[in-house]
Amino acid sequence: MAYELQYYPGATSVAENRRKHMSGKVEKLRDISDEDLTLVLGHRAPGSDYPSTHPPLAEMGEPECSMRELVEPTPGAKAGDRIRYVQFADSMYNAPATPYFRSYNAAICFRGVDPGTLSGRQVVEARERDMEEVAKFQIETEMTCPALAGLRGATVHGHSLRLPEDGVMFDMLDRCRKEGDVIIMHKDQVGRPIDKKVNLGKPMSEEEAAKRTTIYRVDNVSFRDDPEVIEWVHRVFDQRTKYGFKPE
Amino acid sequence: MVNSSDTNSSDTSFLQLEVSPSRLLKPETAQALLNEIVELEGIIRLFVHGPGLPQTVPYGPAKGEPVHHPANTLIEVGGQTMELAVYVGGIRLEVADADVKEQVREVCERVLPVPFEFREGHFIPTRQTVTDYAKRGPGADPVMIGMTDPKGKLKDHPVCILKSESKGND
Repeated sequence: MAYELQYYPGATSVAENRRKHMSGKVEKLRDISDEDLTLVLGHRAPGSDYPSTHPPLAEMGEPECSMRELVEPTPGAKAGDRIRYVQFADSMYNAPATPYFRSYNAAICFRGVDPGTLSGRQVVEARERDMEEVAKFQIETEMTCPALAGLRGATVHGHSLRLPEDGVMFDMLDRCRKEGDVIIMHKDQVGRPIDKKVNLGKPMSEEEAAKRTTIYRVDNVSFRDDPEVIEWVHRVFDQRTKYGFKPE
Repeated sequence: MVNSSDTNSSDTSFLQLEVSPSRLLKPETAQALLNEIVELEGIIRLFVHGPGLPQTVPYGPAKGEPVHHPANTLIEVGGQTMELAVYVGGIRLEVADADVKEQVREVCERVLPVPFEFREGHFIPTRQTVTDYAKRGPGADPVMIGMTDPKGKLKDHPVCILKSESKGND
């Protein structure tokens, strides 16, 4: 019998969503073109070549190394791309993802990435085209609601604040706005104005966000509602404590 | 040394209130709410607070770029125009008595489109600190205590006096 990977315990919708994010089996909800993605990331002009930091590996002549033969380089590494980043902030008000689950997703489902997990933001560093692949995946799927999550390279303040009246997470640099019934981004992730408005699609309704979130909240699905999760969290803490106990 | 008896707020029997809506308020909603509140008799002083809105990007590669946040706008309260430098998240006010408190609650119920928390407590300092003394000196107006950002410079955070001619209606 083939072994099926297990990612997270629990029977609630939050536990199920956490499993989805970790396994990468998430629903695609919207399309964002490569040009739009390049614009909002702000690392290079749309349509331009990827600047490189070293010649392509094929031209460099690598030393003989069994590990290099074993591991296929990522497309970005092969081409010698620069290391670039994408950073997300997710609202505590039922945003679909949280920093930890963005990192699990990047580390489990993509190669050559360096996810950084912080309390209110999550950054992925990788070769430019590899990073774009991660960013596109996370923006286009149910991991992101354009109103409750944002691309924020600098000044990420907002994830823990109450939502404004229109339901779009507070952003002091006003990178995205609600126009009509869609969210548009008119600045790149660090706050520089861009040439056109990038349509990020419709925001999730409150009910949909509550259904798709990976956040346990007492006003939605409480952590204590999931006995299996509690059991495993207790087990991890118990074993970690016993393992760390070293009587001299 | 600061003589505390000289620097206390005008009357410690006043009630202090805090209104915390469940969402940050749009400038139009904040303006409507403030206009209704300042019309009430018995409002001693009030201020709004919330996350700050910078004029320019404060740091990062875009440092210095103008922001033009739609919430960073001019509002008119009690006939005076003022710049809203924060996204309004709450209002703290000092009122004369419990009657005024109930009137403020009614105004909030009428104007606010979202649920809100309404608390009575101690939210505005009534005695000046050493920092206040260092900033304003010995002859400071006690009504001004706690009305500006304690970490900011006084010149950057002007206090708007709406009805300076009659005491008790700042």
